[in-house]
Amino acid sequence: MAHEMMFLALQLGVILVVAKFSGWIFSRKLHQPKVLGELVAGMLIGPYVLGAVPLGSLGPLFPLTGGTIPVSPELYGIATIGSIFLLFTSGLETDLPTFLRFSGKASVVGLGGVIFSFLLGAGVTVLLHPEVHSIMDPEALFLGTICTATSIGITARILGETKKISTPEGVTILAAAVLDDVISIVLLSVVVGIASVEMGGGSIAWSTIGAVAFKAVGFWAICMVVGIFAAPHLTKRMKKLESLSVMAEISFGLALLLAGLSEMAGLAMIIGAYIAGLSFSQTDVSMEITERVKAVGDYFIPVFFAVMGMMVDFGAIVTVLGFGLLFSLIAFIGKLVGCGLPSLFVGFNLRGALRIGAGMLPRGEVTLIVAGIGLASGAIGPDMFGVAVMTMLLASIAAPPILVQSFQGGSGYRKELAEPEEADMITLELEFPSERAAEFIRRSISDAFRAEGFYIRTIEGSIHSWQIRNEDMIFILKRHGSVIEVHGKQQQEAFVRLLLTETLVDLQEFVDSLKSMEQPEMMGAGLLINMFARQQESDR
Amino acid sequence: MKIKQILSPELISTSLKSTTKEGIIGELLDILIANKKISDREAVLAAVMERERKMSTGIQHGVAIPHAKTKAVKELVACIGLKPEGVDFDALDGEPSRIFIMTLSPIDRVGPHVQFLAEISMVIQTDKARQQLLQAKTPQEVLTVFGL
Repeated sequence: MAHEMMFLALQLGVILVVAKFSGWIFSRKLHQPKVLGELVAGMLIGPYVLGAVPLGSLGPLFPLTGGTIPVSPELYGIATIGSIFLLFTSGLETDLPTFLRFSGKASVVGLGGVIFSFLLGAGVTVLLHPEVHSIMDPEALFLGTICTATSIGITARILGETKKISTPEGVTILAAAVLDDVISIVLLSVVVGIASVEMGGGSIAWSTIGAVAFKAVGFWAICMVVGIFAAPHLTKRMKKLESLSVMAEISFGLALLLAGLSEMAGLAMIIGAYIAGLSFSQTDVSMEITERVKAVGDYFIPVFFAVMGMMVDFGAIVTVLGFGLLFSLIAFIGKLVGCGLPSLFVGFNLRGALRIGAGMLPRGEVTLIVAGIGLASGAIGPDMFGVAVMTMLLASIAAPPILVQSFQGGSGYRKELAEPEEADMITLELEFPSERAAEFIRRSISDAFRAEGFYIRTIEGSIHSWQIRNEDMIFILKRHGSVIEVHGKQQQEAFVRLLLTETLVDLQEFVDSLKSMEQPEMMGAGLLINMFARQQESDR
Repeated sequence: MKIKQILSPELISTSLKSTTKEGIIGELLDILIANKKISDREAVLAAVMERERKMSTGIQHGVAIPHAKTKAVKELVACIGLKPEGVDFDALDGEPSRIFIMTLSPIDRVGPHVQFLAEISMVIQTDKARQQLLQAKTPQEVLTVFGL
């Protein structure tokens, strides 16, 4: 046991150093998402390349293990925790009202992508694979399913890095990717059912397959509804603990629980983690939870991506290179067209359709899960597993630059997102003699809000704007040069006026105390005169 | 914070007697002392008067909201007093003050203190509500105006 743990510590150390460094090079020098650097790092140090090289008496650092996953179960476990961290924070960063608003559009996009990709993937297998003659053949079914799942992890990371998670395209991509994964996993259970029956020479029991699919979809829907309603009540109670850190830690504990339950219900763990994050995203402490969870997640998430890279068996890919390349291209087209085209009919323009198509390109964890189950069940061989990995790899490498590039330029949504009813909003403005004075008073106003139990965060992408929130009371504080503005709902005007008045009254007291200070310049002169006093004394 | 949790009939006087600002504040403090909401009268009086010195809490339309933050209370306390004849409270609009809502909140304790002040002020923002208050003969009639 001690030996395994020592190995795990060494492996994690190497992964973190190499993946972080590689991520830095990709992000700073090559202007690509960090995740790509982490994937490539995993491929290089993994069991199929450098990881296989023996290091003296220690042997290879990443020895090949038997089974479908080429790394040790301990390392794979840590990587899984990384994926839970990733999806929990992605859920936390999603704007729930926008997510719900776009969930209808996302369903159209997600379903379009799944159906089109599945038919293309299974169809091309029937056409090009000499031993596959029907779309109902287990191999065709598996390769079709492999085409359907989107890697929400890679997409979420890129959208997060480029701060596009809450754009109409961003939420549509994430919501569609979640649905995609749910549908893919339901499809997987159906495909596994059909394949096992076909390989056993029996007939297909549609009732059993239907029950599995119903359980998965039911769990997902119930968790979404319960999570969204329960999270605000839960945080309200947790606030009594008077520790934001404890609150963040308990929230992550709940994410782990939901992830586990999700797996028990036949869905992937990442789906439960995402639902947990999404539920907490609407609470007034979401930013505080995100900040704390992200700080720890930064150590685990690179491990997840590096381990994904480690799965790539270059040897297996070589034998099916031609078919693999064509299949990858088909999978690419399947998502780009299957998701891009429907989005044109739900309010997006061509730019938005391209962004959504590109955002749905990356394949990842679910693709590997599908391929792994196919391999383990004997429905596909190591060659087709290689094709699946190759598809995942090519799509994941090609998608980030396309996605980043596609998000350049204006809105991809035809209608502007409706602002909250302007008539209901008020703005209070205060002008001060200088920028410095305004900034000083802005801090005092923030402190006054904190004393009332509000949470304050800087608005992403802005320098002088803050969101102030306590449950359903939300204000925006802005400073333009020497002017401070507070925006809020009309029914809270009296509160803002009283709070600002009290802050100014406190300020008056502070100004009076400063005025009573006798000759500050003399105090400064005293400090300077004594600067060399010690040296002069020792010279004597 | 709910008004209901803070206010009760014992904390309301419909006929304050004093004719000066300090006298009104003293009477309001006596209500809080009688109900064991505060004990250190002198410290609280000093804090309230200090706040009044900085800026009068006599707002407009006969409403005044004397308040202060003080170590003498552990949680938010409040009381209401009426003086239909009016008292000069150095109000911002120069009119005599008739409705007095006193709130005291603890220093260095996070809580919806200004929110309570805002909530209670919002109830008496209409002329009709203020008139109803001034015509109230019993504490319960005052509470009815606040929807209690």
